[in-house]
Amino acid sequence: MFRLIGETHIDFIGARKIASVLSVGLVALGIFALVMVVTGEANLGIDFAGGNMIIGSFEQPVLIEDLRAATAGEFPDAQITELKDFEKPNAFIIKVKRPETEAAGRETSLRLKSTIAESFEGNPFTVVSEHIIGPAVGQTLRSDAQKAVLLSLCCIVLYIWVRFDFRSGIAATIATLHDVLAVLGITYIMGLEFDLLIVTALLTLAGYSLTDTVVVFDRIRENLKRFRTRGEFATAVNSSINEVLSRTINTSLTTLLVVGTLFFLGGEVVHNFSLALILGILIGTYSSVFVASPIVVEWEARKPSRFK
Amino acid sequence: MSKKNWRVILTGVLIILAFIALWDTYKLWTMSDTEVQAMQDDDPGALLHLQQEAIRLGLDLQGGIHVVLRVKLEELDKGAQTDAVDRAMQIIRNRVDGLGVAEPTIVKQGNERIIVDLPGYTDADRAEELIGQTALLQFKLLETADNGNLILSRLDSVIAEYEAARRGEVSDTAGVAEADSAGMFDLLAESEASDQTTSSDLMAELLGDSVVDTADLFGFDEELGLNEDEYPLTSRLELAFSSSKGVGWPSFAVAKKDRERIDRWLSLPEAARVIPIDVQFAWGTRTEVRNSREVYYLYLLKRKVQFLGKYLENISLRRDPMSGFVVNFSLSGDGAARFAQLTGANIDKPLAIVLDDKVESAPFINSKIRRQGQISMGSSAKIDDARNMEIVLKAGALPAPVEIIEKNVVGASMGADSIRKGFSAAVLGLSLVLLFIGLYYRLSGVIADVGLLFNIFFLMAVMSALGYTLTMPGIAGIILTIGMSVDSNILIFERIREELRTGKTVRASIDAGYDRAFVAIFDSHVTTLITAGALFLFGSGPIKGFAVTLFYGIVISLYTAFVITKQVFDFRKGYRTLSI
Repeated sequence: MFRLIGETHIDFIGARKIASVLSVGLVALGIFALVMVVTGEANLGIDFAGGNMIIGSFEQPVLIEDLRAATAGEFPDAQITELKDFEKPNAFIIKVKRPETEAAGRETSLRLKSTIAESFEGNPFTVVSEHIIGPAVGQTLRSDAQKAVLLSLCCIVLYIWVRFDFRSGIAATIATLHDVLAVLGITYIMGLEFDLLIVTALLTLAGYSLTDTVVVFDRIRENLKRFRTRGEFATAVNSSINEVLSRTINTSLTTLLVVGTLFFLGGEVVHNFSLALILGILIGTYSSVFVASPIVVEWEARKPSRFK
Repeated sequence: MSKKNWRVILTGVLIILAFIALWDTYKLWTMSDTEVQAMQDDDPGALLHLQQEAIRLGLDLQGGIHVVLRVKLEELDKGAQTDAVDRAMQIIRNRVDGLGVAEPTIVKQGNERIIVDLPGYTDADRAEELIGQTALLQFKLLETADNGNLILSRLDSVIAEYEAARRGEVSDTAGVAEADSAGMFDLLAESEASDQTTSSDLMAELLGDSVVDTADLFGFDEELGLNEDEYPLTSRLELAFSSSKGVGWPSFAVAKKDRERIDRWLSLPEAARVIPIDVQFAWGTRTEVRNSREVYYLYLLKRKVQFLGKYLENISLRRDPMSGFVVNFSLSGDGAARFAQLTGANIDKPLAIVLDDKVESAPFINSKIRRQGQISMGSSAKIDDARNMEIVLKAGALPAPVEIIEKNVVGASMGADSIRKGFSAAVLGLSLVLLFIGLYYRLSGVIADVGLLFNIFFLMAVMSALGYTLTMPGIAGIILTIGMSVDSNILIFERIREELRTGKTVRASIDAGYDRAFVAIFDSHVTTLITAGALFLFGSGPIKGFAVTLFYGIVISLYTAFVITKQVFDFRKGYRTLSI
């Protein structure tokens, strides 16, 4: 039998104090990021903010600084990134966000193209792909995303509460929210654009992190039958975590393998999406060990529900 | 039948169904570009069918245009607001139909928005022009049978010549080339002379030329079957209607699959030269079922605009107990006098109702119409046909102005780039997981690997059978499913290992592994399904693609883990030791 993780007796529950400091920090960061997103202060993608995105390539090499300088006059807020490893060389993504009116996007598109054409005479810029989103559509996408997040979080919480006892339900819910907020916070700090795909990633990892928690809780439920005294509650939880540790690590590994290839090979479209998932897998693994279970232990220590 | 057998039989049936579902996709995806081109030339209908049956690629993967329009209701009167979105959709459908897009979708979103998706079509300016323009409803007369006949027979000969030349090129390039170019010169000389012909010239020509027998074409019996090589065009046309007086009019039923081919022929420069400048071919707006096959109608119209739709008023649909559905309309002032003149001079002739160069219908003029008119849909007409007629007339009378509020143009090279990257990420990700599981859990891992491959196979089959569109986030969903569905196996295997370590027998360990792991696996799958469901309900476009692949991926992974791989493990229960 080939094993990465042998039988372990790590005192996870003992380390819960240190972990809780980190977790609270992450959640605080996440709440801050959430406020920024909701108020529209964060770096929203054009799907939420509205705006123009043009992907195009020059015939000859162009320095990104020159392109920025060329567009800075008319579009001071334009975000320009170089698109590496693309079908065509010298490709760039240009984004101009937050149009004032529905018609503004079209005008921006024309002006942007003519500005570039004038600034780089003799080096034609061919548009490969273009996306224009008016303010009204941005508004719709925002409210749809909010509905999707609320609906799925409510359903997940409901399901946990049906499947588990009250305390485990609360703990699993906190762990799930912890993961979503932590990833949101980290992506915010990293300056990633908050767009529909990031929302999708956050919801996906909510489901994923819950899976981890569910597996640990299942084992705790099973093990508690064997423990008879109050003092042993923490021990039971700790050994449950240790028993499922090799499953936790292996699952995280295989998922990381595929999401990692998506991150490195998947290209621009799914780059931020896969990065958010990688963060989510790491944090989800951490939270099932250091967030969900310790909450149950702490609660039991303060207000015993079993073995009275 | 024993309990084990049903699993084998069910899985066998599913595998066969999956093969059937994926067959068209396999055929299309393994065709080279030149093969696709050849099929496009020879049998565009079959290619279209293949493209419809195969797994569809989203706009982001094959390139295309996605446009969201808003109907500017605030610019319309209260009365005109009802149906405004339907009218705009009808017009857009009309126009998009002529673009040659394999799978256009035009759907209503909310109260005032219309989403138009044109996969594979990347001429943004043309599309925008077509979609954003205000509708133009015109009334035109049909060409006479005699003229129509002559034009068709001329077209037949130039098309036959063109096709023969094309076939010649394909079969024997060297020998035929010379004869070919000679033929071309003949054609040029001939057509230059006829460059300025109008249909009245034709008439004169016809009168002096008794060789062409009009009865030949207009009275031909369908079952006789004209030679396709000699009469490439007319052999594909079936005379659609004649008036009660027994006079034929040039309107034909054309099998749906032939439309693209005929369009191509009619747009040939050689063909354009034999079609008089005051005559035009026009398609009907939509397909209809005629003699149990799907057909388009093709009309030969006089180009001159006889009347404009903007003069119509008070258009309303009624059901007459005697004659079925009728659409009433009225005319006022200037329009009434003109319409009276037009209808008075053309009694018993069909009048084509043309919306943006497509013929909605060509009803016969029964009497002179002054202020009140009525179009009788015929006793067999369905409510949908009548409603369409009403919408078309209203669209011409009360155009619904639209504005573009979202536009996404994805170039073909952008799509190709995404496919390449998505594919390489999927292949590498899958290989890494297969390798890891195979090495870590040995023979059991290999069994799980086979289950994983089945997973992907079934997932593709479901996508194909249910007609879902594959997008880049969809590919990400498949890749994520690979990682997550392995989780079921890991849970089971780790449990079996634990049980084996406690000294249980192979049989007991396998049973305990599956039993104990089931609850955890079930819970985790349900939570992911919830997420996928929420994303499906509220996600747009590409996100929906992600939700769909995730959803089916999870359901299928549950099946493969508990039916397919379980079956193999049941066989292994008798073993003394387990490779795990």
